[in-house]
Amino acid sequence: MKRFLRNIIRLVLIIAGFLFIFKLPSLLGIGKDHVVFNFETFWLGVRSDFQSLFRIKDAAYLSFFKQLNIAESYQYSITILFFSLIFIIFMGLVFAVLVILAPEKLRNSLKSGINFFEAVPDLLVIFLFQFFVIILYKKTGIKFLQLYGVFGAKPYFVPIITVSFLPLFLLIQFLIKVITDEQSQQYVLYAKAKGIGRLRTLLLHIMRNIFPLSVLQLRTIVWVLLSNIYLVEYLFNINGFTQQFFKIISMGGDFVSLVVCLLMFSIPLLVIEAAGWTISKLIRGKERVSI
Amino acid sequence: MTKYKKTIIGSSLLLLLLLMSNFYPAYGPKDYNHQVLVKNEQGVITGRAPFPPSEKHLLGTNRNGEDIHWLLLFGAKFTLISTFGVAILRVLIGGLLGIFLSIWAPFLKSYVKDFFLPFRYIPLILIGIILMIPIVGDFNDVSISSIITYQIIILVFIGVPSVIIFASDVTDELLKTSFVQSSILMGAGKFHLIKRHLLPHLRSYSVLFTVQQLISTLHITMQLGLFGMFLGGRNRAGIFGIDDPDNPPPHPATITNEWAGLIGQNFNEFLLAPWTIFSPVIGFFIVIAIVNMIKKELEENMSGLQVVKKREKKKKISKDESRSFVKRGLFEFVQKL
Repeated sequence: MKRFLRNIIRLVLIIAGFLFIFKLPSLLGIGKDHVVFNFETFWLGVRSDFQSLFRIKDAAYLSFFKQLNIAESYQYSITILFFSLIFIIFMGLVFAVLVILAPEKLRNSLKSGINFFEAVPDLLVIFLFQFFVIILYKKTGIKFLQLYGVFGAKPYFVPIITVSFLPLFLLIQFLIKVITDEQSQQYVLYAKAKGIGRLRTLLLHIMRNIFPLSVLQLRTIVWVLLSNIYLVEYLFNINGFTQQFFKIISMGGDFVSLVVCLLMFSIPLLVIEAAGWTISKLIRGKERVSI
Repeated sequence: MTKYKKTIIGSSLLLLLLLMSNFYPAYGPKDYNHQVLVKNEQGVITGRAPFPPSEKHLLGTNRNGEDIHWLLLFGAKFTLISTFGVAILRVLIGGLLGIFLSIWAPFLKSYVKDFFLPFRYIPLILIGIILMIPIVGDFNDVSISSIITYQIIILVFIGVPSVIIFASDVTDELLKTSFVQSSILMGAGKFHLIKRHLLPHLRSYSVLFTVQQLISTLHITMQLGLFGMFLGGRNRAGIFGIDDPDNPPPHPATITNEWAGLIGQNFNEFLLAPWTIFSPVIGFFIVIAIVNMIKKELEENMSGLQVVKKREKKKKISKDESRSFVKRGLFEFVQKL
């Protein structure tokens, strides 16, 4: 019973949070020379939005949402996200293993090189890629890399590479740190004493042990990817999901469409969180049994 | 002992930039070397802005014929002051609320997390755009100061929830330590706890928080600028050569010439004049790199007494430690009676 009540309170709070955050502009109006608070319009706006949440039978419910071709653009954006994620995981593992196996002097310089990318803003990377593709086109005259998404074109290669550039370094950095921590464990020494090779220990034993931590880290990666995709789709003028979102904002769509749109955006995050939760629960369960 | 060499160098570089920008009217040209057309001796026009970077124009000029390096130097103060102010405000407000949350109202913490759930699932840039579009998304005639106040409130608001949660987590960790526990057992009041035990630790944390928030604010202002949400709103003066005088909506330009605005206003000219974009973006990059260097050093220095790191280690040896955790739980129980 108590738990039930608690969940109701949480649900109410979550809805209240959404309402409050997205109605904030009507609370803070600007006067001629200072910011004014008008609680009345804020309250009216919150109330009308709250009521619109429950008018499901109304024909206007989500009408704006239905006008846009959500399915196609959403599929496109998610495809980009999915392939970038796979690309990042694969390349991240390969590079991390290579850096760990490298001789110590080389490893340190590689590490500082990777750390350097931490400070690079995502906009700079996107602009550089754009510049590079344009220069390539100008020099060779052949258009083998599709950049802009005009005339219904759907470029895949350049957006995926651009989007996954910075998160890749993030993942490599993380993996190197975790693997280095793990290497100080007793079982690594034991494996070494038994005569098992470095690569074998790394790939078979260490990788298995850092797996749950890495899945948790993937949430950050997806988070960075999502905001990067948003920027890239805007800059390359790609007709992805973000364009639909922008239409909703600029054409004054209703609150429900906006929230549904934003929630669709966060579905990948939810999936990753659920995966992390299940895996950590599985592993904890195993440990409990083993004790 | 701890070294602050990089921190000192980095912050003095930023300070130098700020001072140079502040005293710009004293030495810099007022119209940023405004020059749209270039004529040779016969008076024939040989070129028009934007000019690429050359000896005469170090970073090139924009379409208005203004030198970008002067513009950058002039606009630096707005970018630096506003982002720094926003970062400090975020940490102050969020930190105080976080401490309050975990000392006086620990039961509220999960509810606060729920209330700010959107911040966990929606990229900050999207929230920023939604909140700013009604005010900054169009030309309006209110004074700059109120627009800037509004923007700073929004920028602070965007970052505060994460700082609250983080500060509250750190405070919770500190409350679990044995010296705080024994102090509580000996009857220390809550204000005494804050003053004697929490503040000395939180002081160093707050510097680190501020630097982290500074980086995130720099990122977010840069991205908002790209979408046309300039600090200080939009300028009607527009950009020479793009605007059609007969068509009223002019191309938005930044009033203050702060860096994010420079990116946003020149964004359409990427193909023609890439230097107009790359210069402010690289400027941002340099500032972020300096701040990041400071952050790295602070983190390294703190890791000696860091509580968060200890927690990570605890997870690994949690099996043996679980018994002592039970004991700690008992202590808490006694303390609440």
